[in-house]
Amino acid sequence: MAAIQATPRLRQRKAPLKMRLVPYLFLLPNMAIFGLFTVWPAINGFNISMYSSSNGRTFRWEGTGNYQRILTDEDFWGIVRNTVVYALAFVLLSVVLGVMLAVLVDQQRRGRTFFRSVFFIPVLISPVVAGLVWNWMLERQNGLINTFLGTLGIPEVPWLVDNTLAMVVVIGVGTWMQVGFYMLILLAGLQSIDPSVYEAAKIDGASRWQQFISLTFPLLQPSILVVVVLATIHGFQAFDFIYTLTGGGPVGATTLIVQYIYENGFVSPIRYGVATAGSVLLFCAIFALTIANWMIGRKREAA
Amino acid sequence: MLGACAPGQVDGQGSGASPSAVQSVDPAEFAGKTLNYVYFTDGPDAAATAQLISKFEEKYKVKVNLETLPYKDLVTSVQARLSGGNAPDVVRLTGLTDFRDDLLDLRGYLGEDYAKEFLPGPVVGATGKDGKMLAVPSDLTLNGPFVNVDMFKKAGVSLPDPEKPWTWEEMIDAATKVQKATGSQYAFAMDKSGHRLSTVLNQYGTALVANGKSTLDAEKAKKALKPLIDMMSDNRMPRDFWLGSGSRYSGANEIFLAQDAPVYLFGNWQVGQFAKNAKFEWAAAPNPCADNCGGFPGGKYMAALQQSKNPALAAEFIRFMNTMENQETFIKAGGFLPTRKDLAEKGVAYPDRQADMDVFLKDLARTPDLGYAANSDPAFTGSATELVNAVSDVVGGKKDLSTAVSDLQKKTQSLVEELH
Repeated sequence: MAAIQATPRLRQRKAPLKMRLVPYLFLLPNMAIFGLFTVWPAINGFNISMYSSSNGRTFRWEGTGNYQRILTDEDFWGIVRNTVVYALAFVLLSVVLGVMLAVLVDQQRRGRTFFRSVFFIPVLISPVVAGLVWNWMLERQNGLINTFLGTLGIPEVPWLVDNTLAMVVVIGVGTWMQVGFYMLILLAGLQSIDPSVYEAAKIDGASRWQQFISLTFPLLQPSILVVVVLATIHGFQAFDFIYTLTGGGPVGATTLIVQYIYENGFVSPIRYGVATAGSVLLFCAIFALTIANWMIGRKREAA
Repeated sequence: MLGACAPGQVDGQGSGASPSAVQSVDPAEFAGKTLNYVYFTDGPDAAATAQLISKFEEKYKVKVNLETLPYKDLVTSVQARLSGGNAPDVVRLTGLTDFRDDLLDLRGYLGEDYAKEFLPGPVVGATGKDGKMLAVPSDLTLNGPFVNVDMFKKAGVSLPDPEKPWTWEEMIDAATKVQKATGSQYAFAMDKSGHRLSTVLNQYGTALVANGKSTLDAEKAKKALKPLIDMMSDNRMPRDFWLGSGSRYSGANEIFLAQDAPVYLFGNWQVGQFAKNAKFEWAAAPNPCADNCGGFPGGKYMAALQQSKNPALAAEFIRFMNTMENQETFIKAGGFLPTRKDLAEKGVAYPDRQADMDVFLKDLARTPDLGYAANSDPAFTGSATELVNAVSDVVGGKKDLSTAVSDLQKKTQSLVEELH
């Protein structure tokens, strides 16, 4: 009883200032680095987007000129369309395949670590190298995949020179590279589900499919939300492996927004203002989608 | 065949040049100083540069820090160094567009007449507004075709005479005959490059930009590009190669080295690499003619930056590296063409493949001034990228040739307005 009475008094006692500062001091180095190398460049990037500059040293005020230039550029809207197609397909495939792989790996009694590693390995490969290797494998003539298909009597497939096929390839390679990472997040989510709910469902006679639909899927929703948010960000930021795989071709069919930003910022004639304005627009799009995802997720959780 | 001039000599250029009076420099005044030279290499020139730098260090008792960067990082790296207040003293460039406002006017150090020591074509690209000498053209290159002699012999098709170049029709016809006779995959290969495509435009009498203006003649451009597009449509020229690399530059040298194409449009700077790597007999051929003959020029410049801590030493280094004797050492090693009038007049005895280099030297004399004006225009690089995109649009079926050329004209006009 005495102990119970003492608790409120302990709660009311304020910790000394030094103690209260300790967590912030631990955070300070990380926040300083984050502020210096992420927040400050982001704010400065917004500032630069209002100017034109070809060398990063002399600037001319443009106001919203760079934004107007981008938004009235026909090529830009084609690139936006490519980016949306890629991001939607990438998010969808990442979630579906991520859930499937997580469930399959989770059900393995033996070799779970082995399969987890196998699916995670592409995440560890440099995107530039992955793009080059897939480019080599998908070449129409003498490419590994067409050579294999040829042994089955299938004619050469123009993987990298047909607009639609090139986009399919880019989506496939992008998903292959990231799905192992999403699988791990979803696997952790699966393993945190209390096994007793499955036991109860089994006693009630639920089939495996019913268990998946009525238990696994709803209980996995927080992890799926995380995957959707991360995949959306990755999908909109895709660039490096695409640049070495297709170069954004054929005829711009796989050029996404980050390549547009890169080419304005680093390929002559250099236009830092246009590149940063493109980055700001991309940031706004990703930020809006992330907030929307988060709000939808919260509503579902509340329901 | 080569009797018109001595080996290594350029026809019709640079007669009567003599070194102008320049400010006298006492090497002792630079003793103990350090110079930073940012460089990129085409390969064989690196050893010659190191050798010349040693001579300079010995003569002037200075230290030269040679920083060799990958070509693709050169502009961004030098820009970053300028932003960080760590400018190099001298830099080797392929064009001045990205640095025009930062380059030192060399006239104050090398004399008003120093530019007259160089061929007028290359000097155009080194000259800034109000006649400023922003750089020294240190070597010259020229685009031109190479032929697989073995394949031509096997097909029984005769090689072109350097004195009487092919027409475009004759070249395509010969290449197609060789392809058919030898069963090679393609007839003709060319890099995916706006610079290489500009060779064809120039031969048909037009250019993307020149002298601060958009100069593309739509009819001439269509005539120039149609043979290439036709060849890509029936795969006499590799269509996948053109479409498969997106917006990136792509070199077709591996196609030629694999003997998959008997004719390859490239440039003289590849002579050394082919001499080393080709497992077959090959030769440089004269550029085909249409309205004009000759190739499309390129080359490199040595420039000093205004932010240099030792501008006088930087200018002196540039002068030293481009004396007749030293330029000869450099271009012989690199397989380049001379930019100095006296050297062009004297002729260059290359250590290897003299006959091929002579083909390029002959073509240099046929090259119209339009090419120099185009290549040195600040809007050229961006316009050349748009030219590649226009050809890709037609090859990929996105646009017809007329629409692509019309859109290209609008884009070059817009680039000229932006960059001038």
